[in-house]
Amino acid sequence: MKLKSALVAVFTGICVTTPVLADLVFPALTYRTGAYAVSGIPQADGYSDYFTMLNERDGGIGGVPIKVVECETQYNTEKGVECYEKTKGLGALVYQPMSTGITYQLIPKASADGIPIHSMGYGRTSAANGKVFPYVFNYPANY
Amino acid sequence: MFYREAGEFKTSYRADQQTFPIRLDKIGFILSLFAAFVIIPITMSEYWAQAVFLPFLIFGIAAIGLNILTGYCGQVSLGSGGFMAVGAYSCYKLMTSFPDMNMLVCILLSGGVTAFVGLIFGLPSLRIKGFYLAVATLAAQFFLVWMFNKVGWFYNYSASGQITAPERTLFGYVITGAKAETVPVYFVCLGLLVFLALIARNLTRGAMGRKWMAIRDMDIAAEIIGVNPLRAKLTAFAISSFYVGVSGALLFALYLGAVEVGEAFSIQKSFIILFMIIIGGLGSIFGSLVGAAFMIGMPVILKNLLVSNLGWPGDIAAHLEFMIVGLMIIIFLILEPHGLAMLWSIIKEKLRIWPFAH
Repeated sequence: MKLKSALVAVFTGICVTTPVLADLVFPALTYRTGAYAVSGIPQADGYSDYFTMLNERDGGIGGVPIKVVECETQYNTEKGVECYEKTKGLGALVYQPMSTGITYQLIPKASADGIPIHSMGYGRTSAANGKVFPYVFNYPANY
Repeated sequence: MFYREAGEFKTSYRADQQTFPIRLDKIGFILSLFAAFVIIPITMSEYWAQAVFLPFLIFGIAAIGLNILTGYCGQVSLGSGGFMAVGAYSCYKLMTSFPDMNMLVCILLSGGVTAFVGLIFGLPSLRIKGFYLAVATLAAQFFLVWMFNKVGWFYNYSASGQITAPERTLFGYVITGAKAETVPVYFVCLGLLVFLALIARNLTRGAMGRKWMAIRDMDIAAEIIGVNPLRAKLTAFAISSFYVGVSGALLFALYLGAVEVGEAFSIQKSFIILFMIIIGGLGSIFGSLVGAAFMIGMPVILKNLLVSNLGWPGDIAAHLEFMIVGLMIIIFLILEPHGLAMLWSIIKEKLRIWPFAH
């Protein structure tokens, strides 16, 4: 009986991802494993450290605490899509796909869902023109 | 006791040679079709469809294709990723050159193009065997990926070198492009998988499948009893490549939507498909599907269990995934070279005589 209720709890945990609406949710698509882990680990650490600093020093952004949701992509396009689908329901504010391949997948999906993408220094050059993809931002004008 | 042939009388050859001779098997097959066509589309969420079901259906087709070549005909291939790329790029060229073409026709034609390319790369198999053939197909993998990067005609000279699927509809539903709806895409993939799996099952049961298996088991003996190795090996290469090409076209057009060949169809894809058929079972259509389900589902379930439920760091879960897959492959190669499908048929054999030991 105990085992059964534990199994039910685990299963509902797998199926239902409850939205956390109180915090500002920043999904972090990291690549701490895989061929590019050497650059992915410091980047992922830095990204989460920065938000931890904002939380500790300023109490979040505008007084609202920040929640960083990490999802491991292994720099793999399909895993990136899976991560996007998994995290977008949590109230994701902005995506940094960190890979041109994943960015290409996410541009149509995020544009349909109305979630901004920061693809800074990668992704599509045409995104530099805001009229092409209203929800995609890349600051250096070309790749 | 309940799962057995006894008591079922076949009065015609047709009834005797059906795919599922035991009634319980047939009921199970119909029930699983019902679940796949009715229950799952009603209950699945967007996340589970995108993360598990669609990749499973698409890679299931690829796994059946590679199983025809490697499992049934015994020709090891490491070029599946490259052949998937052929399917994807021919689908892209067909979609952009003939905008009015029906998507199903387009996908099947892409399979046809891939079958032709597979036929060409299958020619060396007449002279070389085993490891050497594996290396020759590896060359196909690298050559095809290089060619799709190098020759601009394949990606319509787009500045990024990527191919992007334009919007196409099937029976009024958008199935490719940014506005594609998940459920119609699911039905297209499922329909193709079921159709191709049934064809593969019947091909491998018939004369052609027997010729392939004769070549696999001992090619010289097969040649002596009258199997033409040229025809047997080349048909295996062509049909296998057709399946892999259809799967590549689906992966590009219906699932990913935009593809960069070096990333989406790298050597990793060839290995994953090979792992699917090793774990699932060489020489079994059912095994291909089980292997695909395992290789696609296991990382997602592991990730949800460890990261979402137990709060482990994502990288540890990812490393665990590598270890589990590696361990599974070694265990299966040592203990059960015929994979999960063999375990399933052992269970069925035992069920037939249950509750007795003999």
